[in-house]
Amino acid sequence: MNKVKSVLLAAALATFNPAQAAAPVAKIQAMLAKPPIMCGRFDQTKQLAGMKKPLASNGRFCVVAGKGVLWRTLQPFPSTLRLTRDEIVNYQGDRVAMRLDAKTEPTVRMINNVLFSLLSGDLGQLETLFEVDGTVDATSWNVALKARQAALEKAIGTIKLDGGAYVKNIVMSEAGGDKTSIVFSAIQTGESAMTKEEAALF
Amino acid sequence: MTRTKKLALLWAVVVCLLLGHNAYLWLVQRIVPNTDIMALLPVQERDPVLQQSFSHMVDAAQQRVIVLVGAADWEDAKRAADAYNAVLAPRKDLFEATRIDEKTQGDWLSLFQRHSLTLLTAQQEAQLRAQPPQFWLETALGKLYSPFGGPKLGSWQQDPFGLFAGWVQERAQETPVRPRDGHLFVADARLQYVLLPLTLKVPALSMTAQETVLPLLKQAGDASRKAAPQAELIQAGVILHAAEASGQASGEVSTIGIGSLLGIILLMWFAFHSFKPISLIMLSIGIGFLGALSVCWLVFGQIHLMTLVFGASLIGVAQDYGIYFLSNRLSADEKLDSPALLKRLLPGLGLTLLAAVIGYMGLALTPFPGLRQMAVFSALGLVFAWLTVVFWFPALVGARALKAGALVRVYGDALRRWPVLRVNRATLAAAVIFVLAAGYGISRLGANDDIRLLQNPPKHLIDDQIKLSKLTDAPTPVQYFLVRGASAEEVLQREEALKAKLDKLIVGGGITGYQAVSNWVPSARTQAARRALIEQKLLGDDGPLPGLAKQTGEDAQWIAATRAGLLAAGTPLTPEDFLKSPASEPSRHLWLGDTGGVHASIVALRGLGRAAVPEVMRAADGLQGVQWVDKVAEISSVLGRYRENMSWVVLGAYALVFAMLFPRYRGRTWRVLAPTALASVATLAILGFASQNLQLFHVLALLLLLGVGVDYGIFMQERPDNRGNAAWMAVGMSASSTFLSFGLLGLSKTPALQAFGLTMLLGIALAWLIVPCFGTIKESKHD
Repeated sequence: MNKVKSVLLAAALATFNPAQAAAPVAKIQAMLAKPPIMCGRFDQTKQLAGMKKPLASNGRFCVVAGKGVLWRTLQPFPSTLRLTRDEIVNYQGDRVAMRLDAKTEPTVRMINNVLFSLLSGDLGQLETLFEVDGTVDATSWNVALKARQAALEKAIGTIKLDGGAYVKNIVMSEAGGDKTSIVFSAIQTGESAMTKEEAALF
Repeated sequence: MTRTKKLALLWAVVVCLLLGHNAYLWLVQRIVPNTDIMALLPVQERDPVLQQSFSHMVDAAQQRVIVLVGAADWEDAKRAADAYNAVLAPRKDLFEATRIDEKTQGDWLSLFQRHSLTLLTAQQEAQLRAQPPQFWLETALGKLYSPFGGPKLGSWQQDPFGLFAGWVQERAQETPVRPRDGHLFVADARLQYVLLPLTLKVPALSMTAQETVLPLLKQAGDASRKAAPQAELIQAGVILHAAEASGQASGEVSTIGIGSLLGIILLMWFAFHSFKPISLIMLSIGIGFLGALSVCWLVFGQIHLMTLVFGASLIGVAQDYGIYFLSNRLSADEKLDSPALLKRLLPGLGLTLLAAVIGYMGLALTPFPGLRQMAVFSALGLVFAWLTVVFWFPALVGARALKAGALVRVYGDALRRWPVLRVNRATLAAAVIFVLAAGYGISRLGANDDIRLLQNPPKHLIDDQIKLSKLTDAPTPVQYFLVRGASAEEVLQREEALKAKLDKLIVGGGITGYQAVSNWVPSARTQAARRALIEQKLLGDDGPLPGLAKQTGEDAQWIAATRAGLLAAGTPLTPEDFLKSPASEPSRHLWLGDTGGVHASIVALRGLGRAAVPEVMRAADGLQGVQWVDKVAEISSVLGRYRENMSWVVLGAYALVFAMLFPRYRGRTWRVLAPTALASVATLAILGFASQNLQLFHVLALLLLLGVGVDYGIFMQERPDNRGNAAWMAVGMSASSTFLSFGLLGLSKTPALQAFGLTMLLGIALAWLIVPCFGTIKESKHD
């Protein structure tokens, strides 16, 4: 994730105290389904500084516990991002447009961890980097994440999440004015959720 | 007042001055010996820039202590590291923890951001030359639509093609260390480590600093283990080595010093059965020591700990003069008063001192400042001890002061049964056997000029150092390229020419990377070329920008704005600006700048294996102003060269001593020198049989052996009382205590000193045994 990756250039070495687990976090954790395999559709809208129109794209995503994340943009043009334990690879068509190797880029694992936690709603993990503030009712929850370190906040801004058994919306607002909203839908779980082609990519 | 008394008083005044000066040094100035191993190394006077480059590299490292706290679980590692830090944090007087705060991070990023149009990685440059506009259009759109399109700094419009982000990422990869959760993080396959870079505010080479810092580090280590019992600690820093070396050397000084003193006291007791001679000998040694210290301090302005270690073995030599006088006093006629006896002994005494000083001065011919100081110290010590004997002993030792102990008689009788070489068959046979055996032994001698002879740090420190370099992929400070040019721009251009060659080596696996200022500030020529390339390929109307605008529904105005924004970051970055910014802090030691009209810089190598050195050093071939510097090889080659040179000096010293002795001994001169010469040859042969490798320090010991061994020859040839006993006793007592002190030096953990001690030990013992064989007059049985 582009912003989180900037962590590697902007770290505040402030000593920090692990936060007291806030009450809603435990409740939200209990509400989330956390299946081992989960796939679905995403619709993303980006509003960038210096651009008049919002940019819409959509595609499919898969989150596999213990494996990583697959993010396949299908429209307006195909591009696939695969995040696994050891690398982050971006394919444009069949061409590798970018590869980050955990061996040479130690933050890869951390980035993947954050991203995985975001998509699966693992707030417990996220709490180490973010202050989590949220509300919960019977079937839904929403939280705002604020980076604990000023440098990280500068790099990625604030993140809002809401959902029920799964994360439904993610909104990321950057200090620079760029804003990304992602809506998840048609979520399926279990082995059958993945297409053959997606399984082959892992 | 007799002349003897006058001289004794005069010497008393000198000794009082010495005592005063020493008291001032130790009690008022509170001097501490220098423990810097580097101070022992030869200075490159021929090339000041090279010398400066080395101190640049070393100074940068000297005040650093790097601590890695590792655990399988990151949380454990953090907890252990925090506990470690908590112990050190209150001691702001000792440490400045190197903090990377976000402000400087932001600062340094913005500096490069202002010049981002001129910064490209080699790979990006190749892609720009080779790839069509469509490639860049896809790249930019990929970045635009993907929520996590790789590293991104600032807004998309500022870096639509990800060029600047890629360059920054390449810079970040110069080190595997990464910020993580407010700590610095590095990992290997097994553990995750927190890296704590500490900078000392106190000089790493001062013993006082070591005594404060080391216990504190230990305490911090204990605290971190308490916080996480499974935590592993890796600590590295010059101060740890220095402390280890000072501890080892201090221990050796006292062992050698106390050992030789005890030995001498015992020997003297058996010989004289009285404490007076013992205290007299101690007096001469003590004054010799204090005098050497005073004058050395005045000459050098400091004293090295190794000098003291070596000086401690001086005890075994400095006592010769006193023992010689006392032995002769013991066997001389009581009617002969002490001043008259001294007069008789003076020629022999003078020659022994001269021979020893010649031996020590040979050490001063080496380019090693440490050896020079040892030589000066030792020679001075001998002179002061000798003067004490000459000025005071006649006044202090009366004609009836001494009685012989039992040991003297037993030992004296041994001389009568000693074989004496005459021209006969037995001698010839012995000579043939000796020549054959010695020839065979010496032919088996190898040679070893490894720098590690100078210093032998304990294994755990070396292991930690190796682990740390592996983990952090840090460059070695002793092997690098030195680049020179007439201007900063020329230096940067030459660095780039060198790096083009090094890139091939990275592919081949010889090195993993390099650090150079031109990584951050390319030469103006390269920056201009890159800017032109970007303008031509990316910013023109036939480039990817119109396609991007079409895809995102933007207009010509947007194209113009984006282009203008990118061009605004097109001014060249200068080395001056870079060096002023906090971003250059980790690379400043690589930039020597303007030294006497020559601009110079260092290109440091990461992951250089020993096997790859011959291939890597060839990268400098054919490049102007680029020089391979290998401190290790250089010192080893200096050691080797001097091993050869000093061998000639040893032969020269024999000739010199021979010339010096000849006027007095004429046809017997060879008898004075032969025992020492034979002992030296035999020592080399024994070392050869033991498959030892010859080092400079064996050769230096042979030089000193000449200085000391000649004493025995002189004593035996002098015989002022025309009887062998006094001389034989002086030789026996001198040799056994010298044997003892250098034998203790042979126990030193520093290989150089050990080689020295072992050679002396063998040589002295052999010379002692051989001396009587070259006697001229067979003793009569009725003596």
